[in-house]
Order: sequence, then structure tokens, then C-alpha cells
Amino acid sequence: MQPLVNIQNLNLKYQQKQVLVDLNWTIQHGENWQLGGVSGSGKTSLAKIIARKQTAIGDVKINFNTASELPAEVLFVESWYQFKNVEGVANFYYQQRYTSQQAKNSLTVHAELVSYGKENNLHLDQVEPILEALNFSTFASSQLIELSSGEHKKLQLVKALWLKPQLLIIDQPYTGLDVASRKSLNILLDKAAAAGVQLILICNDTALPTSINRFAEIKDGKLVAVDSFERSSHTENRLKEIPDFLKQSPLYSSQNIVKMVDVNISYGEKQVLKNINWEVKAGEKWLLQGHNGSGKSTLLSLINGDHPQSYANELYLFGNKRGSGESIWDIKKRIGLISPEFHWYFDASATVWQSIASGFYDSVGLFQQLPYSKAAQVDELIEYFALTESKNELLNHLPLGKQRMVLLARTIIKNPELLILDEPCQGLDQQQTQHFNQLVDALCANGMTVIYVGHFESQLPKSLTHKLVLSQGEAIENTKAYTIQKELA
Amino acid sequence: MANYFNTLPLREKLNQLGVCDFMDSSEFLDGVNALKGKKLVIVGCGAQGLNQGLNLRDSGLDVSYTLRAEAIEGKRDSWKNATENNFKVGTYEELIPTADVVINLTPDKQHTAVVSAIMPLMKEGATLSYSHGFNIVEEGTQIRKDLTVIMVAPKCPGSEVRAEYVRGFGVPTLIAVHPENDPQGKGLAQAKAYAVGTGGHKAGVLKSSFVAEVKSDLMGEQTILCGLLQTGSILSFDKMVEKGIDAGYASKLVQYGVEVITEALKQGGITAMMDRLSNVAKIKAFEISEELKDIMRPLFQKHQDDIMSGEFSRIMMEDWANGDKNLLAWRAETGETAFEKTPAGDVKIGEQEYFDNYTLMVAFVRAGVELAFETMVQAGIKPESAYYESLHETPLIANTIARKKLFEMNRVISDTAEYGCYLFDQACKPLLADFMKKVDTDLVGKNFNEGKDGGVDNRTLIAVNEAIRTHQVEQIGATLRKAMTAMKAIKTA
Repeated sequence: MQPLVNIQNLNLKYQQKQVLVDLNWTIQHGENWQLGGVSGSGKTSLAKIIARKQTAIGDVKINFNTASELPAEVLFVESWYQFKNVEGVANFYYQQRYTSQQAKNSLTVHAELVSYGKENNLHLDQVEPILEALNFSTFASSQLIELSSGEHKKLQLVKALWLKPQLLIIDQPYTGLDVASRKSLNILLDKAAAAGVQLILICNDTALPTSINRFAEIKDGKLVAVDSFERSSHTENRLKEIPDFLKQSPLYSSQNIVKMVDVNISYGEKQVLKNINWEVKAGEKWLLQGHNGSGKSTLLSLINGDHPQSYANELYLFGNKRGSGESIWDIKKRIGLISPEFHWYFDASATVWQSIASGFYDSVGLFQQLPYSKAAQVDELIEYFALTESKNELLNHLPLGKQRMVLLARTIIKNPELLILDEPCQGLDQQQTQHFNQLVDALCANGMTVIYVGHFESQLPKSLTHKLVLSQGEAIENTKAYTIQKELA
Repeated sequence: MANYFNTLPLREKLNQLGVCDFMDSSEFLDGVNALKGKKLVIVGCGAQGLNQGLNLRDSGLDVSYTLRAEAIEGKRDSWKNATENNFKVGTYEELIPTADVVINLTPDKQHTAVVSAIMPLMKEGATLSYSHGFNIVEEGTQIRKDLTVIMVAPKCPGSEVRAEYVRGFGVPTLIAVHPENDPQGKGLAQAKAYAVGTGGHKAGVLKSSFVAEVKSDLMGEQTILCGLLQTGSILSFDKMVEKGIDAGYASKLVQYGVEVITEALKQGGITAMMDRLSNVAKIKAFEISEELKDIMRPLFQKHQDDIMSGEFSRIMMEDWANGDKNLLAWRAETGETAFEKTPAGDVKIGEQEYFDNYTLMVAFVRAGVELAFETMVQAGIKPESAYYESLHETPLIANTIARKKLFEMNRVISDTAEYGCYLFDQACKPLLADFMKKVDTDLVGKNFNEGKDGGVDNRTLIAVNEAIRTHQVEQIGATLRKAMTAMKAIKTA
């Protein structure tokens, strides 16, 4: 039998850079691959070429199994979800899902699935068990705009698992998924593999479906088979000295950064946060956890001044009662924020330099001239993050991991009182993750207040001392003196 | 009530028409202070009402909504919009007497009813704000002498007003104070603070007058913005189908073409739009747009004359009184056109292809923008105003056509604009009948450059470029675009 995929002498150039160089790859029937390695090595491009979504020079042959009942198709699930409103445009903005608008803008999950099923001749009853397994059934009537990034990821996965193409390539399958969902996903992927779907998973994770039996990475433009990614490249990198302007301790106007008293948020019948009582004092480092849909993003949107319902709750930010005459810009200027959603909605037409500089003004995109001293700090931080080469490139022309690094730099540029890091390391490789968390530790040492959302204990900074866990909108754990070391031991 | 403009002596007419100053950012250093601690009560909670209110509240101001009792009792959408976002909502009787500033964001047509209901309830010395001057200027509504009357008009749909604010920017905004109602001299300070509250000061604020706003706004929307885009779209589609171009392709080209073409207009004016064409195509587009200008000039002038004399608003208000008979008939007619009923085909059209295969629309846009601008300026409207009401807004309207064709455009714009658009369209189509007979598929549907060697006469090209670049709309446009530092690129299909 011919191999499913046979790639010979594949070459790809991006601008002046040779990304893939005479790359060869053969995928035999029955093989399921993990494709890992560093960010920017060409993994996503390679996947797109196989899925015929990008062209390159060289030979890519796909030999589908004609005897199979599965669709003779390569499905590429992008790491980035897309959705459009009912009028067919994707013109949404970051805070939109928190605002209640009667003019309905986007389709519901159910309607989206019905239309996807129709397009691909799939039966709706076959999608039910997948929805169940990923704990997604309750979202049927939610509008696409209302979903969090983890929920959008689930919707992408549901569609792929429902379609069961002969070759399924998933770029970053686990980003944004909680621990339980990752386990369920692995079971579903194993089931699909057993039914004849061949998998390529692009990621650096180690908890994989058991059906993954081949491993490779791209090095110097060529495919290199490896044994596995079990802690393979565990090199302890020393953190470079952080720029001086980030060493200054924040000047706190109040010791009370956040105070919530019986905070409740609901949309119609649906209650998203229930009686939350939470205090964050200056200099505390909090870990915030909870499964997908537990209310984490909503909680953080209250702190960042993004939620209209904050005006109806007893909420104090930086010592002031919310709704006592402050503007959202007064709040945002004290906060550095990153989240997967914020990244998704970021200005596509901004360059790397502009993106980072916009952190001084809390704007999405840069609308002002920077004074010399600030411009110098942008340059210094760009150098620190090793982004100098790309500083004039458009943000969305960079690989996802690099884009994330840029937005992380944006988050800390003004050395804010409070850092809100909502899954900051999504899409980063191991080394980048480690590097960023070390940086967070260094900033923490200077007295910065941190709220950090992360699902995996092994991928957290060491300085976290407090922990809040949400489950279905309720705080089920609110611990001071939490330490990662204790948890790991 | 008498048409306000017509009661003025000529000198005062010219005085009020000729106001339009681009305000320096230093004018806004006081932020929202002039409204801080004041009670702002918004009448109506549709797209503009809700989104402006969200912005004003997020700027630290005290905002609540007042709705008609029926809307509250019936829990209508406006009531849901306001309450679900945690705004205080009350009846006119409950909230208007407490208001320092009443912001009227109801549709034009309801203004007389709304204003006559709220005015007696307003407290002594309060402020009434409009986002459009029709009620004051055309209907001639007289406002109590102790009240201050201002206008703050963001030049974008409500959803954009919000989207731009939360990303840290804003939309260009026009402000004005009604000279008959500024007893305490606080109108301008409050209008500026309001513009800061919605984020408008970051994108550029024009100081205008009620009269200048109304007369230029009506002219722009009737002619280039809605009227000509509608006429041009329908004629282009029909021509392609007549000449055997695939209807799905034609539908897609027309639906999205005008958005792609006017994106260039937005970035760099008529010059940038024309420069997207090859030299041969540019010369051709120039020639036919000159011809179009000659054909349509009398129609543009008639619209401007009727707007100035009040004739337009008189016949439109007649139609209001007649249960919108004409408006509804024309709306139905537009819904039945072949373009509207043919879905966009599943074909890929490249960005450049929209220019090369739709040269006719480039010519329509140039002719329409320049004519509208020239006609307004000749009538005494300042070039800045004329620029905003012609060139600046064209891409925004084109964007609505890309969403859902003419139906969407006419749904998004005001009833006044929609009425004027149909009025223009009805007159313009027969006017262009002879012109359209000469048009072939090289101008619409196929690549204009196909089968041509691309050579042009140097002197002709230089003369054409010169004519395009030195037009007054280009000169004022370059200055104003520079002042509005950032512009968001529209995502194309």
C-alpha cells in the first residue's frame, strides 16, 4: 500500500528566510505523529502545505485509502479559531461578549453545528456523544460571540472529530483546555484513530493519546524523527538581567488592589459568577484556576474594567469603589493584561514595535507618538525578548508563539501595579514558557502584584503564593500561603 | 413650526452654513470635567443610545436611560439593552426632571414627539443634546429659552462607536451649539466633554453648526453616499447580466467591490483609488467619470437646492404624514431588484481584480464624490464639512453593502437618508440610461486591460493625474486624514 503522505524535497521561503529545506516526510498507514519543536520552525506552514492551504516548491502526494468509508480528506484544524457574524463578517471586539445586546450578531453553537453537518453530510445524532465527552452540550444555545477561547477550541475539535477525515492535523490541540477536557480529548482521538483516522498533532505536550506512535520535529528546515518529547530539551536557561526600568517597585496608591463583596454576574437565567468574595492585596501573587467555563475570564474582566455588570456589584479596585466616577482608562493604566482572547482580538494591522508601545496607553494598536524615553524602553524590551529582527513586521505575520511573546512584552512595558496573566504561555514552546515564567518571578521579586491563570502546575512561575479556584462560578478554594513547591511535592 | 433656516436673514444663513473647524487636541485637555457629577439621561436605547451610553459610563460619567412607558412595560429590546447592562431605566416623568443633560438618541422621525414630551419636564437651565439637527433646523422646533441645546454626532454606526472606544481610540465626531439656545455659554464645554466621553476626541472633532450639519448631511447621504452607490450597483449588476457575465460572479463583484475600491479612497483619497488602476484604465475611468459628472451635475444641484430651500424636508414630512407611502413602496422595490435577489457566487475574486474588473464603479465613485463635494462647497458649506459628508463616509456606507447588499445599507442608515437615497435613485437611473447603453463588459465584469497593450500618451496621463490630484477634495482630504492618525483596515471577504 502506498504511504498516506509522501513528501519529497519540499522547500519554502518566507520573505528572505528559508523555512523548509529539501524536507522529506513519509507517513505510512497506521502511523500517528506528534510534530513538535521550537516556535517558528515551520510546523504550521508544513501542515498547511499538506492540507493544500499553502503552496510551496516540492512534491506532496496524498494517497487516500479508497476502501475506507472515511472522507478522503485532509482536515487542518488551525490553532486559531475563526467565526463570523450572521452577516458574514468577523468584525468583533474584545469586550463585546460581556455586553448584552438585543440585536443578535452571531450564530448559536447549535445553528453552527447544523450548518456544518449539512455542508459535510453528517448526522446530528453522531455529534451528541462528542459534545457530551467534551462537556460541551450545555452550550448549544450559546452564541459564538459568547464563547471563551477554550470553548471555541472545543467547538473546533468537535467538528473535526465529527467529520473523521482520513488525515486529521491539529495545530495546538490542547491550548485553552482544562485538565479534564484534555483527558477526554485524548480518549476521543484514540477512538478516532481506532476508526481509521490518522493523526498529526502539532504541539510539545507530553500527555498524548496512546495512539501517537511517531515523533518528529523540524530542525534547520528538515524533518528529524525523535523518540519522544518527554522532557527532551530540558536545559536550564539563566534569565538575562531584566531592563532597569522594570526593576522599580510599583508605587501603590492603595494596599487593596481588588476587593469583591458577594459579586454576582448573570446573563438572563444563566449565572456565571455566584457570591464571589475575594481580596487581593498589594504584592500578592495569585494563581487562579478552574475548568473551562468556570467563570475565570468573567472574573478577570471585572478587574480590567471590561464588564458592564461591574457597575451593579460591590467591587473595589485599587482602593476605589467601582462606579464612583473613575473611567476604565484610570483602571487599565494600573494593569498589564494578557489573555488568549485579548490576543485573538488584537489589532492585525499593528507592527511588533507598535503593539508593544501601545501597552503604555492600554490601546489595541498605537494611536500616539511616543516620547523619546518611552520609545527607548520599547527598543530595550524588544532587544530583551530577542525580537529586534521582527520589530517592523506586522504582528500577524509572525508565528503564533512569537506573537504571544510580543504581547507579553506589551503587558509588562509600563511596569504596572497589577499583572493579569491569563494563560500567558499558550502556544509557547517549553523554553519560551520557562523563560517567561522566570521573568515573572523576577518582576514578582520587585513587589508587583500578579494574578496568573494556568492549568498545569509544571508550567507556572515559582513565586505564586495564593490560590483561588472557581467551579461553576463559585469560589471553591481561596487559599493564602499556597506554594507551587508544596503542590508538586 | 417654521423651517428654522428659512427664518434667518441671508447674512446669518451664510454665517451658520460656513462653520466647520477641525479642533486641536489641546481643546480637550479638560477631559470629561464639564459633565463630571452631572446626571446624563439618554432617551432611547438602540444602537447609538446603548453604545454611546456604555462609553460615557466607562468614562466615569453618570448615565441612565429613559424610555416610553410602553417600552418599559412591554420589556422591549431597548429596555432589555439598558437593564441587562445594569443601567438605571425610568419613564420620562421619573428621570427627565432629575437630568442635567438629556441626550436625545431616538430616530429623527420621533424627534418632534419626543422633544415635546420631555421639554416641559426638563429642569431649569438643563441641556438638551441631539445627534442630528433635523428637528431644530428643518422642523423648526423651538426649545425653551433657559435650556442649552448642543449636538454631538459620532460619524459612525453605534457598534463602531463602541468598538473603537474600547480599543482606546474613537470615531470622528461633529459637535455644535445652537446659537438660539446657549443662555449660560456652557454649551461648547459640555459638547467637548461629551466628545471626550465617547472617545471622539482621539479620532478628530469638527466644530460645526446645526445648520451646516443638517444641510451637508442630507446632501451627502442622498447623493454620493447612498443614492449613487445604490444606482451604480444596480446598473452595474444589470449590465453584467445583460452581457452574459455569470450572475453569481456579478453579484459578488458588486456586493464586495465597492468596499474594496473605497478602502483605497479611505487611505489616500481619489488619488489612491485611481492609482490602483493601470494607466490605460485610469485614463478611461477619468474620461467616463468626467462624462458622468456632466450628466449628473443638474441632479446633484437640484438635490442641494431642495435641501437649502426646505423643499426636500417638506415633501419627506408629507410622506411621514402619509404613513410613509413612498418610502415603503421604494423599499419594497429595492428588495425586488435582481442584484438583491441573486446570492454572491462561490468564486474567489482577488483584491486587485475588484479594481480591474469594476472600473465602472471607480468612475462612479470619483464622479459622485467630486460632484457632491463641489456642489456643497458652491452652496456655502465649508470644504471640511463637505469632505466628511462625501469622501470620508463613502467607505463606511460601502461596508454596509458588503455585509448584506442594499437591504443592509438601507436598514442601517436613518429613514431620512433612506428616503433621500430612493429619491435620488429614482431620478438618476433614467438620467443614465443613454450612458449605460455604451457601457460594455470591459468596464464592468471583465478585466479592462485584457487585450490592450497598456501603452498611453505621456501628456494625457500627466494631465489626468494633475486633474485628479489638484482637486480641492484631495487637498483638504490630505490635511484631515493626517489629523486623524489611525484608520482601521476593513477586512475583505
